[in-house]
Amino acid sequence: MTIETGVRRPYVGQNVLRSNDPKLLTGGGRFIDDLHFPDMLHATIVRSTLAHGTIEQFDAGAARAESDVALVLGPEEIAATTGLLPCVWLAPGQRMTHIPIASRKVSYVGQPIGIVVADSRAAAEDAVEILDITFAELPCVVDSEASIAPGAPLLVPEWGDNICAQVDAGDPRDEIEEVIARAAHVVERRLRIQRVAPNPMETRGLIARWDAADESLTVWMSTQTPHHCRDHLATALALRADQVRVIVGELGGGFGAKEHLYPDEVMVCLAAMRSGRPVKWVEDRVESLTATLHGRDAIHRARLALDADGKFLAIHSDILGNLGAHPSNVGLGPFRVSMGMLPGPYHFERAGGSLTAVLSNTTPTGAYRGFGMQEATWVRERLIDEAARELGLDVVELRLRNMIQPHELPFTTRTFQPYDSGDYPEAMRRTVVAARAEANVTSVGRIRRGLGFATHVEFTGLGDSRSQQIVGFSLGGYETAKVRVDPDGSVSVTSGVTGMGQGIETGFAQLAADHLGIGIERISVRLGDTASAPYSATGSIASRSMTVGGGAVVTAAGKVRDRMMAIAAHQLEISPNDLELVRDASGRDVFQPKGSPDISLTWEKVAESAWLNWNVPDEFNTIGLEETFVYNPASVSYAYATHAVSVAVDLDTGLVKLEGYWVTHDSGVMVNPMICDGQVLGGIAQGVGIALYEGMRWGETGQPTTTTYLDYVLPLSVDIPNVKIEHMVTPSPFIPGGMKGLGEGGTITSPAAVGNAIAAAVPEIAGLLLETPFSPSKLWTMIDEAGLHV
Amino acid sequence: MKPPVFEYRDPRSLDEALGLLNEYGDDSSILAGGQSLIPLLNLRLARPDYVIDINKVPGLDTIEVLPGCVRVGALTRIRRLERDPKIRAVAPALSDAFQNIAHPQIRSRTTIGGNISHADPSSELPGVLAAYDGRVQLTSSSGSRWVSWSDFFVTVFTTTRESNELLTAVEFPTDQNFSYEFEEIARRPGDYPLAGVCAGISLDGSQVRAARLSAIAIADRPIRMTAAESALVGVDISNAAVRQAASQAAAAEINPMDDEHGSAAFRRGLVSTLVKRTLDRLAGVPS
Ligand SMILES: Cc1cc2nc3c(=O)[nH]c(=O)nc-3n(C[C@H](O)[C@H](O)[C@H](O)COP(=O)(O)OP(=O)(O)OC[C@H]3O[C@@H](n4cnc5c(N)ncnc54)[C@H](O)[C@@H]3O)c2cc1C
Repeated sequence: MTIETGVRRPYVGQNVLRSNDPKLLTGGGRFIDDLHFPDMLHATIVRSTLAHGTIEQFDAGAARAESDVALVLGPEEIAATTGLLPCVWLAPGQRMTHIPIASRKVSYVGQPIGIVVADSRAAAEDAVEILDITFAELPCVVDSEASIAPGAPLLVPEWGDNICAQVDAGDPRDEIEEVIARAAHVVERRLRIQRVAPNPMETRGLIARWDAADESLTVWMSTQTPHHCRDHLATALALRADQVRVIVGELGGGFGAKEHLYPDEVMVCLAAMRSGRPVKWVEDRVESLTATLHGRDAIHRARLALDADGKFLAIHSDILGNLGAHPSNVGLGPFRVSMGMLPGPYHFERAGGSLTAVLSNTTPTGAYRGFGMQEATWVRERLIDEAARELGLDVVELRLRNMIQPHELPFTTRTFQPYDSGDYPEAMRRTVVAARAEANVTSVGRIRRGLGFATHVEFTGLGDSRSQQIVGFSLGGYETAKVRVDPDGSVSVTSGVTGMGQGIETGFAQLAADHLGIGIERISVRLGDTASAPYSATGSIASRSMTVGGGAVVTAAGKVRDRMMAIAAHQLEISPNDLELVRDASGRDVFQPKGSPDISLTWEKVAESAWLNWNVPDEFNTIGLEETFVYNPASVSYAYATHAVSVAVDLDTGLVKLEGYWVTHDSGVMVNPMICDGQVLGGIAQGVGIALYEGMRWGETGQPTTTTYLDYVLPLSVDIPNVKIEHMVTPSPFIPGGMKGLGEGGTITSPAAVGNAIAAAVPEIAGLLLETPFSPSKLWTMIDEAGLHV
Repeated sequence: MKPPVFEYRDPRSLDEALGLLNEYGDDSSILAGGQSLIPLLNLRLARPDYVIDINKVPGLDTIEVLPGCVRVGALTRIRRLERDPKIRAVAPALSDAFQNIAHPQIRSRTTIGGNISHADPSSELPGVLAAYDGRVQLTSSSGSRWVSWSDFFVTVFTTTRESNELLTAVEFPTDQNFSYEFEEIARRPGDYPLAGVCAGISLDGSQVRAARLSAIAIADRPIRMTAAESALVGVDISNAAVRQAASQAAAAEINPMDDEHGSAAFRRGLVSTLVKRTLDRLAGVPS
């Protein structure tokens, strides 16, 4: 890894070019499918072609007889030799808490039921076609409302219904109802957020290699959470954790979908152990759309209560969440976070939600960029626009009137979120001023234009183990950084978080360089290998790599610097307080007594003597220059943003064009503004996908119909407008370095901003804009029914 | 997502290609640009025993701008056609339609023969061929025949090409009395359209002598909207009410079906909009 030199210090706050890019841009990046081992076999996963049923027969005789087929495992054999995968986040009363690796019961199309391993992927796929599998079909249910209707087909007949769990959040229901009952205005809507697929550019994949002599399993894997996967692999395969090593190389995106171990990934490892040869499996795009966890799929019956002056009194949502065939690793998590984050940046006397999470014969839903917060923002911000429309108030004025003011922070919401710092109204004012000055809102002929706003507060940097214990999230919330100066003066930084294309390696190098006080070219950042990286239970999820992981790097680097300073001071026979570390005229990092530039000691010299253990202070009780720091944050940090978007709606075609986009965003200290912009922009693109394009669909028999990019429509680069991003910087009050999480804000608010903009452009249909995505046919039909086609 | 087992043949001459087609017929697929066939193979929706790759057959990538027609050899890539100034000079609507097919990378591979043979009812060129009253040349070992567009397209992905025939050329008549416009509505640039219209009129001053209106993505094959065409004959195209009436006639005569991408009413609305827009442009009126 090389980092551009010549950037001024401090590095934090500078657009240091991303260290991985030269490699990626010149074809040197190595993803799972770029890795090859001698003697390697190729796997394909056998998947259920039925939405609901039982496997009556799995006869692999003909397939096993093929000369190029090495191994076939069916559901029975797999289940017999594997343990269950536990859900790490359980809700009170959750009726399903573990996921089997394979079973005779199938509950969605795409469910893994077996594995075929052959000389090539094509041969493995050929062999799947000659498996003799018979299913006994059961009636299926896809939609969450149908799933709770009387007489619905049951996924777990013993339960008597399809409800996996019901939980409330926030204020007691009766108190909320009481406030709503006496409110002057209540806006109530049924809002829906569709099912979407996360679509990482690199699909899931792994290569598993079993060393029989050593009894160890090495897995090269496309995952955001190598340690978590290692732990669950050990559980599923009855190995000790130290027998399993997970290595993440380049990672082509995750967006939450790669935050845990999947049953099909366990099958690949099992196949490697059985065959004694390395086995590769790379998910194809059809599998990625159907067998990788989806996001969203919630119906909200939500109410916003206001007094006669437009003051918010209460917000509440009854959520019907579609878990799919089984709860994911994070269980009901996204829907629960929707309840917790429903209040946003506003005051309410009472706030809360009630969740019913149901099973259906669809791909399970789980973590996806925005994790429940996008849904909460969609619901709240649409309700507010609807309230403004009904009361004849300005949408911005109504929001500002109800916002939490900066002097009120820290502020704990009615849903127990301890907001830390920032200025929410200021972010809104800045966005509004910029957007209103620049947006074209002039309708011409059949083209209507409008400007929409939305705002949010975002839970970032999942951490502090105590809070995770309180909510039953059984992963440690800390991060560890290890910083070592080697005898030649070079520095290696390791951490348990992973790089997934977001550029965290570069950010960590910037932090380490500043807190060590040296040139960034000395620093290499190594992530992703459980054999060398510090243990990280939670990994790179929830916008936490830079906050929790970065906080650890800052502190560990500071400790190493103190050590270097102490050694240099000892050798120069002065107090460390009289010493400084500077870059001299010839570009060397040197220690100098303050005000005496003629005397100096180079960084390399000090490093060398430290490892020789020569001339080091007597009070040092360890040798060398390595510091490990485990950082358990005091709390999560809260980022926020306001988005504005201007749209043009063609009344005759229902097509929406985004013409301008403005963001004011605060995620605390920006280590690398260019990377921050990239995160915001990429997040917006995914949010625009939710607003206008994306959506998984199923046919009557539970067959997914959006299984390729012909039918699953993603936004293209031309569909994303230029985005003007303004940053505010309110440092986190407790994260060392002051960073807050950054990865998800773009996705969280953009769908609501787009929805509100369409409402502004075509007020005649504003009250109907409740379910994303707004495809041309859907909008055209609304416009038609509103009598706007003459 | 790997294709099932097939045998690969890459003939080096037209005769050799036609001989292979004669031999393997229904058991084979012709591979041209591969932008439709390869995905179908990978999804195992196509399962030919033989793939006959015609990319090495010489002489099939011709562009001829002749008096009265543009004639294009089957292997000519769309990317080359869209940039051909001679075609743009005589058939600008055809050039516009080329640019509406997919994306530049895909158009660099896509061949005109593959595109037309594939007979996707949402595909642009079949609709343009219909509006131009064009035809295709089908060749087998026993000779060639020309088939008009209306006799060629049968239904979704189905044509009257015999299994031993190769589509060798496509011909767009260029009657200089006619002016054409093409427009489509797609969800994103480069997508197959939700609806598309190609409109051509021949004028005597501002009076319409003849009109040709085709639509795509409306039925199981490209269609001509003859009621709307008749409504235009003899009228004054500069009259907005006349253009409006033609667009309503078009919407009334088509029979789209509800599908995943929208209702029949939506499709009618789009066709009406597109007819109006294309006629407006032909009348020199900005929409
Ligand atoms: C992302 C994407 C977007 C697309 N968007 C559009 C679009 O907007 N509009 C559009 O029209 N198309 C679109 N396409 C389809 C593309 O244009 C196809 O390539 C084209 O339809 C087929 O042309 P081809 O040369 O690639 O044919 P191939 O894929 O090689 O063949 C297609 C079919 O035609 C047959 N065939 C090929 N050549 C001949 C011949 N000479 N004689 C007889 N049969 C033959 C083949 O056997 C096969 O059945 C898109 C494709 C992609 C991948």
